[in-house]
Amino acid sequence: MEYTRFEKARIIGARALQIALGAPILIHIPGDMYDPLDIAIYEFEKGVIPITVKRSK
Amino acid sequence: MSGDSELVLIWKDKMNNIDALMLNAPVYYAVDFPVKLEPPFYAYITLKGKEANYRVHVTEVREYEPLEGMMRRSNKNLKTLLYLEEIQEIASIPLNEFRKENGEEIKRVSKYSYGTLTLITDFELKKFRDMTDSERKIYEMAIKDYGVELPFSIVSEIAKAEEKYDIKNTELKRIIDRAVEIYKKRLVDPYEAVGIVGAQSIGEPGTQMTLRTFHYAGVAEMNVTLGLPRLIEIVDARRDPSTPMMTIYLDEKTRYSEDGARELAKKIESTLIKDVSDIVTNITDMSVIIRPNKEEMENRGVTKDNIVESLAKIKLKTVVEVEGDNIKVRLSEPSYKNLNRLSTEISALTLKGVKGIERAIVRKSNDTNEWVIYTQGSNLRDVLDMDGVDGRRTKTNNIIEIANVLGVEAARNAIIYEALDTLQQQGLSVDIRHLMLVADVMTQKGYVEAIGRHGVAGQKESVLARAAFEITSKHLLAAGVTGEVDELNGVAENIIVGQPVTLGTGAVVLIYKPKKR
Repeated sequence: MEYTRFEKARIIGARALQIALGAPILIHIPGDMYDPLDIAIYEFEKGVIPITVKRSK
Repeated sequence: MSGDSELVLIWKDKMNNIDALMLNAPVYYAVDFPVKLEPPFYAYITLKGKEANYRVHVTEVREYEPLEGMMRRSNKNLKTLLYLEEIQEIASIPLNEFRKENGEEIKRVSKYSYGTLTLITDFELKKFRDMTDSERKIYEMAIKDYGVELPFSIVSEIAKAEEKYDIKNTELKRIIDRAVEIYKKRLVDPYEAVGIVGAQSIGEPGTQMTLRTFHYAGVAEMNVTLGLPRLIEIVDARRDPSTPMMTIYLDEKTRYSEDGARELAKKIESTLIKDVSDIVTNITDMSVIIRPNKEEMENRGVTKDNIVESLAKIKLKTVVEVEGDNIKVRLSEPSYKNLNRLSTEISALTLKGVKGIERAIVRKSNDTNEWVIYTQGSNLRDVLDMDGVDGRRTKTNNIIEIANVLGVEAARNAIIYEALDTLQQQGLSVDIRHLMLVADVMTQKGYVEAIGRHGVAGQKESVLARAAFEITSKHLLAAGVTGEVDELNGVAENIIVGQPVTLGTGAVVLIYKPKKR
């Protein structure tokens, strides 16, 4: 499923919040990456975020 | 219906007969006239003898004999039995659209008649299944490789280019690749705030428009509202634009003859009594005197008799006397009030031409080399009825008139066309989809609605949204008294309540997706 830009923003946003609050990171990240938002984007690109969207019909 | 112009039967009938038929069909119906058509055929029923109101499907015709359960048109002289399979109420068709066997128009039907109805069916719409082989190939390639259904116009354009430039298969693949990429980029995501984007995209160029009325380039001496005033007029859905105009295209016969076009223009241009004469009110003997101007009358092709004839249309009781060159219209009963009315009524009488059309100018079109009539004033219904006019291309800038004559869908197209045209004349390019949205919103209820200061005319559904805009307490109080419910669907009400709005990111519902094992 391809995400719209709103869905992408929402998923990354939600995940970045989790990471910022101390959630464990699901994948090995480059050593110089600290910003929760960067980490969330990285995770999203690798497709490991366990979040998806529910679309209304 | 099989065939475009089949002979049909038309008869006149009473309302209560039709009501009974509608209830009992299919049924045998005894009529008091002979029927020569071979069943099955269609027949039309007229109520007043002027237009066909019902259509029936007749599947059997035979000599009259009394039958159980049959119905009768009248009580005596019954001749034929018709088996009516079905009877339908139809949008009434004027009887003059039917042609008699000798080609004449049918004017009235007092009992029964035969005629042919020619339907306009040669209007072609390009549909999906009409795609050519090369178009279908491109269309299917885009679906197979990218899962994208390219719009028909893009597909046919690529197909045309493929033929013209003799494109190789690998090149075609790359063209489709680019087309799909650009197409996807231009698509709008679900939950995008298209209304706001559209408003701003029309509003910003709007600030650069002129505020003045200009002379229309090319057509001499015609004044046309352009720029911002015109755009406001379109969006306001005014009943009459400040400068109504028509562009009348002509049919194949008259299109290329200047004389034919000029003759038609003369017929279309309306002449009022006040255009060809002076009108003087005489208070002493309660009369209005018309002094025709011979020169003007000759120019416009009107005679004194025409004036006298047209005076019969006056609704007040009058006596018409011809005194030499002048015509005197006297009130039967003296009254100052009616005298005043009489003089205004006389000056507004149309002698000839189409009502509402003040001027008609004939011009040669630059690109197609045909003669076109431009008019000041608009009357679409009557102009479309005239012989020599090509009704399919003829247009007016009066959107409400288009809605009344041709329907909302035509009005929607007119809004898009007029708005785009006004913007383009000012050298502004606005994406057509913004205007399409405006036109869609204005016409979605089935009639043309204005977009004004309060948004689209008609009430907003939500109480809170209404209260957020002007006279807050009035709306809240009324809502409280009547017990209104707010579903919190819109933007304003969700902001008031403190929830994310149902647009963009706010409309996305997240769910947990467990990892697959």
